[in-house]
Amino acid sequence: MLQITTGDARPIFRQIVDGLRARILTGELPPGHKLPSVRALAIELTVNPNTVAKAYTELTDEGLIETRSRVGVFVCEPRQRLSDAERQRRLDEALQRFVHDVASLGYDAEVVLERTEHALERLGLERGAEATSEDIP
Amino acid sequence: MIGSKQSDDAPARLDQPAIEARGLSKRFGPKLALHGFDLEIERGGIHAVVGANGAGKSTFFRILLGFQTATAGTSRVLGYRSEALPPAVRGRIQLVTEEHALPGWMRIGALEAMHRDLATRSRSNGGREAAWSERAWREVAGLFRLPSSQRVRDLSRGERAGLNLALALAQRPELLILDEPTLGLDVVARQAFLEALLFAGEHDGSTILYCSHQMDEVERVADALIILEDGRVTEHGTPESFWRRIAGWSIDAASLPPAGALLPEALPGLLQTRAIDGRLQLTAIDRDDDFGACLESLGAVDVQRVPIGFDRAVNAYLDRPAA
Repeated sequence: MLQITTGDARPIFRQIVDGLRARILTGELPPGHKLPSVRALAIELTVNPNTVAKAYTELTDEGLIETRSRVGVFVCEPRQRLSDAERQRRLDEALQRFVHDVASLGYDAEVVLERTEHALERLGLERGAEATSEDIP
Repeated sequence: MIGSKQSDDAPARLDQPAIEARGLSKRFGPKLALHGFDLEIERGGIHAVVGANGAGKSTFFRILLGFQTATAGTSRVLGYRSEALPPAVRGRIQLVTEEHALPGWMRIGALEAMHRDLATRSRSNGGREAAWSERAWREVAGLFRLPSSQRVRDLSRGERAGLNLALALAQRPELLILDEPTLGLDVVARQAFLEALLFAGEHDGSTILYCSHQMDEVERVADALIILEDGRVTEHGTPESFWRRIAGWSIDAASLPPAGALLPEALPGLLQTRAIDGRLQLTAIDRDDDFGACLESLGAVDVQRVPIGFDRAVNAYLDRPAA
């Protein structure tokens, strides 16, 4: 269900986090869905189990998955586990990275914003509060 | 290596590092194969050892296992001095090299029985429970589909590698040294080898040293990364912490003097420069965005930071100009 590549610019741990997060946010892996154990996913991907464990820890910290002892690892009901301050901090950090990467590419801000919006929509994140269903083409 | 018959006169010293080398040097005539070699490896985990041929890896292993004496410095393995290693302790160390040398005339079943017999009779594993893991043997032999009636000489290279690993893991070594074990194996055998290494048997705290030139394998299996260069350890940490220090940059190739003119004095931290398709790709260590500014001040045009993979990060580091 997940593909990882070596030689990629992202560490394997990051690829696992991003891959699972995208599948959870799009609903491909719905709340209550049971994920493979650390060992099973590590075998499937042929990677060190510690790498998978670290990825699961990160997703747990983000409130996306939870481990029920002796039962397994499950996708959580959507809710916010991080404090407001922590969410804010992570948003700022991610934005800084993004803005830096994008700045040197020479695109107009309009284009960047539009592409960003599309990318967010693909993850099921839309302009909730302001947008009504008529606004979305 | 086969554990010899010993009573438990050499108890496991699990509270001590798996490997501890301090200030090792080894001189062969005018050449220093090791100098100022320091390395401490904690118990457990997979430690990847990476370095160019001739960096001193083989010399270090020979000294570590007591086959050779150091010119200066000290070395301990599993808590015991290398030059006075009790046979029982040597029996808890398994070494798997790329040759996969095994007696060709023996059948797999007989070889297995011999090793199991020696391991269980010796009871020399310093108080650790069973000296032979049936489970590890079954799982690895199963992954490589090793039929017990087959003679070793009729096995493919990949199967011999699998057999070697199965025998090594089944003896539940405290320390397992793998020296380029997947060299010359095809994709399927390499996959089976990594899977067996990562998942077969119960790893109950054994420490694994994995020497490889295959960065994709290192990226998959390593908890720690050790880089050897010119007879000493130059980097030791997690693969990610090393990788994070390396950054890639791309500039318009026409905007700077030829690659040879880019000197480390003008660009501290520069590791490697490569010309690709009208672009110059530069790799730098321990430099932030100021490196881009530095390039621009030298006249570079269209300066972009580019992401680089783990393999390229390590290769650029090994390729850097001598200090």
